[in-house]
This record gives sequence, C-alpha cells and structure tokens, in this order.
Amino acid sequence: MTDSLILGLSSGSACLATCGMVMFPYLMAGSAGVKRIAVDLSLFLATRFIIYFILATLAWYFGQAIFTNSLVRNIVPGILYIVFAVMLVWYSIGSGKKPGCPARIVTTVNNRRFVPALFIILTKGATQGTLSQSYLAFLTFFIGSSVWFLPLPLAGKIHKREVIKNIGILATGLAGIIFMIKGLTNLIGGIVNG
Amino acid sequence: MDNSLKISGMEKSFWKSLLFSLPMILITFMFITGGRPNFSDPYEAIALLSVFLLVNILFFLMHFSGKTDRYRAVLFILFAFSLSYTLIRNMLEIRHSMSFSQADLLECKIPFCHLVIPMMILPAAFTKSIIFPGSIISGFANISSMVVLWITATIVLGRGFCSWGCFYGGWDDGFSRVRKKPVIKKINSLWKWMPFAVLLMVALSAALTMLPTYCDWLCPFKTVTEFEKVTSVESAAKAGVFLTLFGGLVVVLPVMTRKRTQCSFLCPLGAVNSLSNKITPFTVKIDKTACTQCFKCVEACPLYALTKEDVNAGKVSVFCSKCGKCVDACSKKAIHYGIKGIPAGTMKSFSRNLFLFVSFLFMAIFSSGAIISTLQNLLKLIF
Repeated sequence: MTDSLILGLSSGSACLATCGMVMFPYLMAGSAGVKRIAVDLSLFLATRFIIYFILATLAWYFGQAIFTNSLVRNIVPGILYIVFAVMLVWYSIGSGKKPGCPARIVTTVNNRRFVPALFIILTKGATQGTLSQSYLAFLTFFIGSSVWFLPLPLAGKIHKREVIKNIGILATGLAGIIFMIKGLTNLIGGIVNG
Repeated sequence: MDNSLKISGMEKSFWKSLLFSLPMILITFMFITGGRPNFSDPYEAIALLSVFLLVNILFFLMHFSGKTDRYRAVLFILFAFSLSYTLIRNMLEIRHSMSFSQADLLECKIPFCHLVIPMMILPAAFTKSIIFPGSIISGFANISSMVVLWITATIVLGRGFCSWGCFYGGWDDGFSRVRKKPVIKKINSLWKWMPFAVLLMVALSAALTMLPTYCDWLCPFKTVTEFEKVTSVESAAKAGVFLTLFGGLVVVLPVMTRKRTQCSFLCPLGAVNSLSNKITPFTVKIDKTACTQCFKCVEACPLYALTKEDVNAGKVSVFCSKCGKCVDACSKKAIHYGIKGIPAGTMKSFSRNLFLFVSFLFMAIFSSGAIISTLQNLLKLIF
C-alpha cells in the first residue's frame, strides 16, 4: 500500500503536467473561476477513478494467467520493477533539465508517450494475491496522484508553481529509487527462496 | 599607549562577557547538577564538572570573541556523538545487540526520536493514534517529552532547532568540517527541495499505512542508533539503504562539499522546521547598506540556505538554521542575528545576545545529560 501511494504521489506531478494542462487549458490563461475548475476537476478525477478500477481488474486477471508459479511471480515483476523504475528516474532527470514553461513539459511527456509509473502499478496489480488487493493498490495510487490536483481550483492564486514542480520532479526520482530497491528485493528474494 | 588601551578594552570586554555568562552559569548548574550535586561517584563528579565547565566556557567565548558557529559546533557535534554512544551502549547492555526484535516492537520499547514527528501528525489528527512503537509518558526518550521539547524549540527557534537542538545534525556537521576546502563546489539548487518531497511522501504514506515509513526505510541514523534485525531479504535491503544513506549523505558528501547534506537534502523534519521559520521571532538579517556583496556568507552557509539572489534581495531563505556561520564569515558585520520587526542593521548586539542565550541554553540543557553519561562511561573504561 505504501509503495503504491508513494508511486501515486510521485507521478501526480507528471499527471498534472500531462493531463491537467491538456484537460484544463484555461488554467494557464487564468480565465476560469474556482467553481468551474472544481466541477471539471471532479469529473476528470471520477473518470480516472473508473479507468483505474478497470485497469486493476484487467491487470489482476492477466497476472493470474501469466504468473503461474511463485518463482515467476517474484522474478518477472522484480525485473519489470527495475526496468520501469530506471525509466522513472530517467524521466525525473529529464524533467529537471527542462525548466520553464509547463507547456514544454507537456510536449516532452507527450513525445515520449510513456508513463513508467502506470506500468509499475500495472505490474503491482498483476502480482497481487487477490482482486481486492489489486483494487487497493490502484486506489492508493489514485489517492496519491490525485493529491496534486487538489490545489488546481486555486491555480491562479498559487504563486510558487515552480517550487511545486521541483518537489514533484524530486518525488518522481525518489519513487523510482524506491521501486528499484523493491525490484531488487523481489528479484533476490525470488532467487534465494526459489 | 595603544597597547594599554587594547588591554584595558579587552579587560572590559572580559568582565562584560563574564557578567553576561552569569545567568547561564547559574541555570546550567541547576540543570546539570539537579540543584544538589552528588560527588559520591568520582567519575560522575569529574564528568559533571567537565561538562558544566565546557558548556559555560563555550558560552563565554561566544560572547567574548563575537564568534558563534565554532563554539556552537563543539557542543553540537559532541552531543550527536555522545547520544549515539549512550544509546548504543544501553542497547548492547540490555539487548546485547543494536537491532530490535519484534518483541521490542510489540512491547513499545523503541526510543522515540524527533524525526518521527512529521509522520505522526496526520495519523494523530485523524485517528488519535500514535504510530510509533514507543512509550508515551514513561521511560527513556518517551514520546510526549520529545514532542513537547520539539514544539517549544521550534516555536522559539524555527529551523534553528536543526543547528541548536537536533541530536543527529552534529554528525554531518562534524564531517563537513573535516576538509578545509570543498571538492564538490556546486550542486543543483533543485536538490534543496528534496526534504519537502520526502516529507510529502512519508507524511501521507504513514497516514495511510499507520507505520513510520521514514524510520522503516529511509533514516540514515539507524546506522548509529538501532535497526530492525536482519532476518529477510527485505530487512537486509533496509539495512543496505540505511548504510548507503549514512555513508553517502552523512559522511562522504559532507566531507566533499563542506555542507550538511543529510540536513539539506533528506531530512523531512528539516522541511517542517523550515516552514516554522515563518513564525519564529528570531531570524538572520542582511543589512544591504553595509553589504559589499563579497558573498562569503553564501560560501559559508552549510545548508544551501543562502544564495547570491537572497543576499541581493537582503533576506535569508526559509532554509536558514541560524547556525551563525554566515554571521561569522562577514567581515563587515552586514549579516547578523535579528528579531522580526526590528530593521536590519539596528540592535545587532541585543538581538544576538538574546538569541544566543535562548538557543545555547536549550542546547546546553538538552545535550548535557548524554555528554555526561558518555564521559562518565569513557572514564570508567579507561581507568
């Protein structure tokens, strides 16, 4: 649960940069009121919630079909965690090198068309013992990533956007490192315990 | 003639500093001896007197020399090493190991440390539960006394707690003084926001899991206090993380950069304390009219709290821990301790004396127990 939340928290800034700015283009212009943004945001988060619910179900069913024995169940996700975690760190470093206009981050992310955090949570969902555990993993991921969207209605009034962006970039890198360790633990644990 | 004037000036300054130190001497005597000194154990008596003298000589020298950081650092570093020594010695005596078992966890026998506080706030507010397996009101390092101490110190000193009260800060402060010149001179300023990223993650993950996640996975000071017994791949991975972070952020990077990198780039409590700098009455001020923009203060700052832009703007950032290193580095006395509401460049001496009295007294009272215990034990070992 902790790692899903951390992953959500770390990727939330990226979600905000990719989805947030695309879904709410008027944010940058500052032309919409708090109420309008709050309504649109609620709809957006509800849609995300439903999509995650579906993804949690699909990931778990695929996991049951693919990870048939305990060795595979530890080693394959371990490798996947490491690969995606490296990508997450790389993504964080990449974001750090491109300061300035948020629109530029959108371009960068869209050009890559890849969200490592989503793949990590899909891997996690696929390796859970029960469907409800998969739902819980996605739910905590959803909560973590949604935290970033909460100040959105007040976006026009937030003066320290650069600071929030910096914290987001660092959180992404940190989550990458955490999942790298988790991947290594899974991999070594799988090999040691057979 | 000049020499005699100089000597008489020094004499005057000596008596003035001694007079200023008198309240400190009385208060520390009361706290260190408990008002009734017991000299039945010679080792304890020697340790007690030595610490009492050390504390008061350091305070006297701060006033007499006008320098702050070098004397603060002596007690601060001693405090960190002594506390770890005392804690490890106690654990080895009681448990015969530095690791704690599941039974210790279940019986709430883990000593509390202030780094847990950021993780405790949300669970305590929403569920009225304390997520740390320690004793609430009784025993060594209990939760309530530590929280009260931290709140009091933070309200008064702000992030000054990190340089005058934290019993871990002395580790990287100590290592940051090993080299005379830094090997790594420039670090991306983005990193100074890392403690906020860590705070965000540990506070929310602790609220959701009801576990002190920072202690579980990230705290480098587990290396010099206590840690989970290595019984699985996961606990081995945790031990690896603790050792790597301690080696990297507390030893190697401070030596290479001459900065307190653990405090600057990891500590979530440092992030909370930075925010508390907004409410504390004490601050560090820059007198723009006296500043020659030599930026020696920027170079001296151990926490990356001061940038050239800050100096040009005439104010220090929220990351300032009021250690006094920048104040000591400024030959023009343009940067000084101040009180909010009083303009920069005025009442410098009054502000400094007031701040030093409060902060040093806090550190002296807080640290003396651990240093006395360490010294007493070392004396017993040697003789």
